[in-house]
Amino acid sequence: MSEKIIVSNKRQLFPDFSEVFRYKDLFFTLAWRDFRVRYAQTTIGLMWALLQPLITLLILSLVFGTFIAVKTPVPHLLFTLAGMSVWTYFSYVMTNAGSSIISSQNMIKKIYFPRIIIPFSKALVGLIDFGITLIMLIALMFYYGIAPTANVLFAPLFLILGILAALGAGIWLSALTVRYRDFQHVVPFIVQIGLYLTPIAYPAEYATSHLPKWATTLYYLNPMAGIVQGFRWSLFGGEAPNEFLLITIITVVVLFISSLLFFKRIEDEMADLV
Amino acid sequence: MEGKYAIKVEKLSKRYTIGTKKADSFRQALGGIFRKKNNAKTSFLAVDNLNFTINKGEVVGIIGKNGAGKSTLLKLLSQITKPTEGTIRINGRVASLLEVGTGFHPELTGRENIFLNGTILGMTRAEVSRKFDEIVAFSGVEKFIDTPVKHYSSGMYVRLAFSVAAHLEPEILIIDEVLAVGDAEFQQKCLGKMKSIAGEGRTVIFVSHNLAAVKELCQKGIVIEKGKLVFHGESSAAIQAYQSSHGSQSHYENKSVTTDKTAVKAIALCNQALQYCTEFTVNEPVLIDVDLNIVSNSTEYAVFIQINDQFGSPVFAAEKQISNQKMTLEIAANFLTRGNYAMSCYIHIPRLERIETLDNCCQFSVSDATSSLVIHGNYNYGPVFGNFKWH
Repeated sequence: MSEKIIVSNKRQLFPDFSEVFRYKDLFFTLAWRDFRVRYAQTTIGLMWALLQPLITLLILSLVFGTFIAVKTPVPHLLFTLAGMSVWTYFSYVMTNAGSSIISSQNMIKKIYFPRIIIPFSKALVGLIDFGITLIMLIALMFYYGIAPTANVLFAPLFLILGILAALGAGIWLSALTVRYRDFQHVVPFIVQIGLYLTPIAYPAEYATSHLPKWATTLYYLNPMAGIVQGFRWSLFGGEAPNEFLLITIITVVVLFISSLLFFKRIEDEMADLV
Repeated sequence: MEGKYAIKVEKLSKRYTIGTKKADSFRQALGGIFRKKNNAKTSFLAVDNLNFTINKGEVVGIIGKNGAGKSTLLKLLSQITKPTEGTIRINGRVASLLEVGTGFHPELTGRENIFLNGTILGMTRAEVSRKFDEIVAFSGVEKFIDTPVKHYSSGMYVRLAFSVAAHLEPEILIIDEVLAVGDAEFQQKCLGKMKSIAGEGRTVIFVSHNLAAVKELCQKGIVIEKGKLVFHGESSAAIQAYQSSHGSQSHYENKSVTTDKTAVKAIALCNQALQYCTEFTVNEPVLIDVDLNIVSNSTEYAVFIQINDQFGSPVFAAEKQISNQKMTLEIAANFLTRGNYAMSCYIHIPRLERIETLDNCCQFSVSDATSSLVIHGNYNYGPVFGNFKWH
């Protein structure tokens, strides 16, 4: 049997991934609990996962597609749904992972397990809703008679980037909220402005053509801008991702790795702080 | 390679800062950048330079008063919190049980909660499946296993929760007071289960106020006082050391009571002359004065006072709905026999929840020079004089 040594002044930089792996069952159980609890008492159950993005979709499509008549390469409704699917996943995971440590404080004070499992599990739960919107998306593509391009092979890449971005933001927020409760109020704000700053209901060129080069770079510092655009490109084709994709990838990687580092720093004192 | 010890603790300390907390809001932290660091924080050592070794297969009881650092020590040993200084070496798989039913979710069924709780406690889903039937049988809630636990009675809830925990198979088990659950029958069942766990050669660390249980279960005892180790040795000797070290306390005061919460401000043991007292004779009454802080809407609260004998076994208990800020319980003269007693006091909402727990907050002794039983000397004739008549 291996010996475990806990030393006061020894701090690890990264979470112990082999340990996290040993707790993989907890990861699945927590995700499954969230899923069960979310629909346990609702009458229309899974319909809720459909309804909320559906209404947002219709509003966005009404305002941007009909009132403002934004020109999109595919029907506006389909265009927006493709963007919405990734964005909804991101905002769900960021919000829930962000508050996850605070809302699990009873567990954290009473038992040891690698805390990072909690925000991680939210990324899995989010995939269920994402799967449902994806089915809607495919149905709508059939309806409009639009087949995906060969670029669809790249879709998983953008999904992985989306998962990492959502987790990165969520893990950062979860650790920050333990330290400073103020960050609870920041999250809805990020979700709200993100919905408009990300090219969901309009093509990115609408934004970038009005911006000087330096501001465009800033625009793409929002990782979801590049991810939404890339995901849509992988489905419908069009102009290939440009040099700004590199900014997206770098931002996502930096965001994710830094979140792990920061989380680890806070992890040891979580039980004393929450 | 493999050491003989299960846990080895060296120079272990844990410091907590009290009063001014760490910057709670971001604004304070931002402010802190510009202000000079104010290090006038008060801190205390909850655990102060502990050194001890627990060998494999030992069953060790940790005893100490409220606030002695027992809970902090358990949190350190179970890795929930990190030490400020020192080293802990752990040899083997640890499971800690600081509460029963950690992570239980009221909306989920008993079956689902078994898996949830089991994996939180460190089992794999396969392990839980393997022991599932055993867990359900032990808990005795077979019929309701597919009912959401929010519909369970509190007794069923606790039984199910303990059953999951009882079927962990760690090499080192750390348990905090969880035996104080369920009805007498189930408690006996729990004690039995713990004995069999201990009998299988596993290492058990057990924290309890129940000195009788410590005496029954543990071979070794560790006494902690104010974060320091006072005694480490045979369990019966440890219990004696504990009892003699902390002496008797006639009153308890809680200085940190806030006005927004119903709580005990002070409890005092008094004699007939209304003076603090810890030494009584059999033929005088014992008065327990409880001074409460009451919030206006707390009418449903009740006080529960329990008297335990020197082994921690309950002698009797009294229950009363809170009516006044000051309440007095009078234990009649010629009721308790000679011996040492401790008093515990709880505030609770009947059948709902316990608000405050003050275990063994005051102690007293009763001496006997006058009763008819005096002739029996040290013979244990029970903690109370019977209410009987000869005809």
